[in-house]
Amino acid sequence: MNALLKVTGMAKAYGGNQVLASVDFEVRPGEIIGVIGPNGSGKSTLLNAISGFTPIDRGEVLLQGRPLQGMPAHRIVEQGLARTFQLPSMPDKMTVMEVLLAASTTAHGFWGSLLGSRANREAERAGRARAEQLLDELLLRKVRDNAAAALSGGQKKLLSVACALMGKPQLLMLDEPTAGVHPNLRRDMIQTLQHLNRQGLALMIVEHDMHFIRDLCHRCIVLDRGQIVAVCTPAELSSNEQVLEAYLGRGTRHPKEAIA
Amino acid sequence: MLQFLLDTLARTADLALIALGLSLVYGLAKFPNVAHVQYAMLGAFVAVALQRSGCPLPLAMVASCLAMGCLAVLLHIGVFRRLLRSGPAIAMIGSLALSMIIGALVLGFAGSSPLSYRLPIEAPLSLGEAMLARSQLLSMLTTLVLLVLFAIVLFKTRLGRSMRALACNAPLAAAAGLNADGITYWVNFMSGALAGLGGSLLAMNTSAYTNLGSDLLLPIFAAAILGGLGNPLGAVLGALLIALTETLVTNLNIGWLYGQAMAFIPVGYIGAASFLMLLLALIFRPYGLFDREVRRV
Amino acid sequence: MFEFCLHVLTLACIYGLIALALNLQAGYTGLLNFGHIAFVGIGAYAVGIGHLAGWALLPSLIAGVLAAMALAWLVARLGRNLASDYWGIATLAVAEIVRIIALNQDSLTGGAQGISALPGLFAGASNAHQNLYTTLLLMVLTALFAVLSVRLANSRFGRALRLLREQPQLASCLGYDLLQLKSRALMASAALAALGGALLASYTSYVSADYLLAAQTFLVWSMVMIGGLGSVRGVLLGALLVQCAYSFVPFAKDYLNIGSDVAGALRIGLVGVILLVCLLWRSGGLLPERLRVMP
Repeated sequence: MNALLKVTGMAKAYGGNQVLASVDFEVRPGEIIGVIGPNGSGKSTLLNAISGFTPIDRGEVLLQGRPLQGMPAHRIVEQGLARTFQLPSMPDKMTVMEVLLAASTTAHGFWGSLLGSRANREAERAGRARAEQLLDELLLRKVRDNAAAALSGGQKKLLSVACALMGKPQLLMLDEPTAGVHPNLRRDMIQTLQHLNRQGLALMIVEHDMHFIRDLCHRCIVLDRGQIVAVCTPAELSSNEQVLEAYLGRGTRHPKEAIA
Repeated sequence: MLQFLLDTLARTADLALIALGLSLVYGLAKFPNVAHVQYAMLGAFVAVALQRSGCPLPLAMVASCLAMGCLAVLLHIGVFRRLLRSGPAIAMIGSLALSMIIGALVLGFAGSSPLSYRLPIEAPLSLGEAMLARSQLLSMLTTLVLLVLFAIVLFKTRLGRSMRALACNAPLAAAAGLNADGITYWVNFMSGALAGLGGSLLAMNTSAYTNLGSDLLLPIFAAAILGGLGNPLGAVLGALLIALTETLVTNLNIGWLYGQAMAFIPVGYIGAASFLMLLLALIFRPYGLFDREVRRV
Repeated sequence: MFEFCLHVLTLACIYGLIALALNLQAGYTGLLNFGHIAFVGIGAYAVGIGHLAGWALLPSLIAGVLAAMALAWLVARLGRNLASDYWGIATLAVAEIVRIIALNQDSLTGGAQGISALPGLFAGASNAHQNLYTTLLLMVLTALFAVLSVRLANSRFGRALRLLREQPQLASCLGYDLLQLKSRALMASAALAALGGALLASYTSYVSADYLLAAQTFLVWSMVMIGGLGSVRGVLLGALLVQCAYSFVPFAKDYLNIGSDVAGALRIGLVGVILLVCLLWRSGGLLPERLRVMP
């Protein structure tokens, strides 16, 4: 099966610090991949590098065979790869609905907007329909007309996911979606993401919450000090030696030993 | 050649203290205070007015310094601290409003004709072929003395260290026990005083006039930005560079372009040259010529 | 008195157009342009220079608009990596350079004396009618551009600008080319500002480098901040208020028996005080921008 996203030989150093050292992996269509690893392992850098927010030193990123490395962030989004941020900050003079509509198309249509052309009106209508649909799917119906900055942290995360989805991406990358989110909302998030996955959306999720990973992901990539140390299913995580080593340090064979 | 050097140094002295003051307070306040040049203008008027009413020149200048320093602190407490809560853009526009108000007050009270010191007219000094006015010499010497003093304060005293720490990372410095408010008052005082002194010295050459501030706005900002905002001594080097550009532009013989013996760029374009310098600097080295870690751009 | 009020109204409309242009840059897109007056000056000088060269009003106007848009394109590129306050100072420098060129190129621009005796907009009609027609035309134009501004703000383009204004990273992340957005906003703003400048030159029959002083940009900023950045009604109100304050003071000079220096000081000081009070008390302006709720 052809990979949806294929990353080869990605490397990035900040000064003398090799944050990513020759990372290779792939995401298959319709897959949910979790990216885990201790702090400082390079997870955020990986996400930033793939989405074009951080330039890379070496490596190739292919989305359905099309190279993405070196492209500016906004063009990568046009190709079908969307992402969210860990601490989404939202504008405070725009309503939730307006922010969603702003996410609806990458063409800003100056003349269309000014003159109210038919193409512009059609795009508006389609955008509105999609936005209303996403408001329901992501449980944001109640806050539709509130200022986006006034939302709670969890709601802002949902909004940023909704924004990313407006463009109908093929792969959505989430940066720590459950950090600071209420457990009830976390459950809803899992259900929503599964629902979206069934519709064909592939997901790559950087997370610390193991329960979330276990409930949602098909496969896990474990990063440690800029390298992939394991690729396995969530069930295999707790017995994988490299994973334990990454989290608990060298010489640990089993968590019980570490405690004893 | 010597004349060229003297002209450059004289112009540097005109700009250095005021640019130093601006850079000092910008590093701390994090917004461009457009009213800063008005402190220079007002300081010039205060010094001239005092001197004309009988006060000896040095005393008049010192009084003007102190007055401008206090004004800067008062305005910081009364206006800028509040405006900064709404963000640096609002603070900048607020400084614009203050600049208009100060300009209006001076225009209203002092009128639009320039006011000069009541000083005896002295022959300029001649060093070989070059000429130097006594006032320019005084200006250069005073500036030099003050720069040395300031450098000592900044690098050898506790206050100076605290100022540098605060400019780098205010919350961290405050958490480490520095009295952020107190130091901010001192910095504002110093920057106002430096501007006032700079203006008073400038008025020896150009007399105090209401547009003194706005004429200085861009050269001062250019000098401060070239030196890297928040790098006070860099601002002095920035001032040197601006002065050099200005002197060079008017002394450059472009006769060869026109096939004539002598042709010069019109004096009116002096300003344009230094502003062009500023634009080039912002395009190619937005962190200033002396690329430091203090990055705001 | 009626004549005078008409005059103030006309100037208020012209400055209203210029303020609407600044609103597009600063209000919608968050660009702190302190050299806005350069666009106005280019429009004004285009009319003046065109007149000297024998051109009719319309071709001069179009030339001015195009020239201003070219400058805007350059200025947008200048801002690519600069933080907003640095960029503000850079734009100030650009405007000053334009002013210095205008002041020194005597053969082209008339130097310090400028170009005078420009024909008004309705050169054929009688003097009294001329002023009336001009005022009416300007009111229509101001209303037109106000409506277009509102429409733009509520449209896809406007939403993109407002997102760019507050969360540029999010905008990038949603696929917007920030440079292109800024460029379009600046060019549109420059076109409108140049139109305002051209109308100003025609109405006052005069153009000089004084039109390009930084103080003029600050005056327009005052209008926009006092009225309400980002809100069309606010900006127009601000333009009217400031223009009234600015015009009535010298008018009242004779009644109050004050010298011209004091009058000059008073008008600037008054605007400065109103601006400061607004910033301290209502930093959003008198008619601040409000949330736009979709039906």
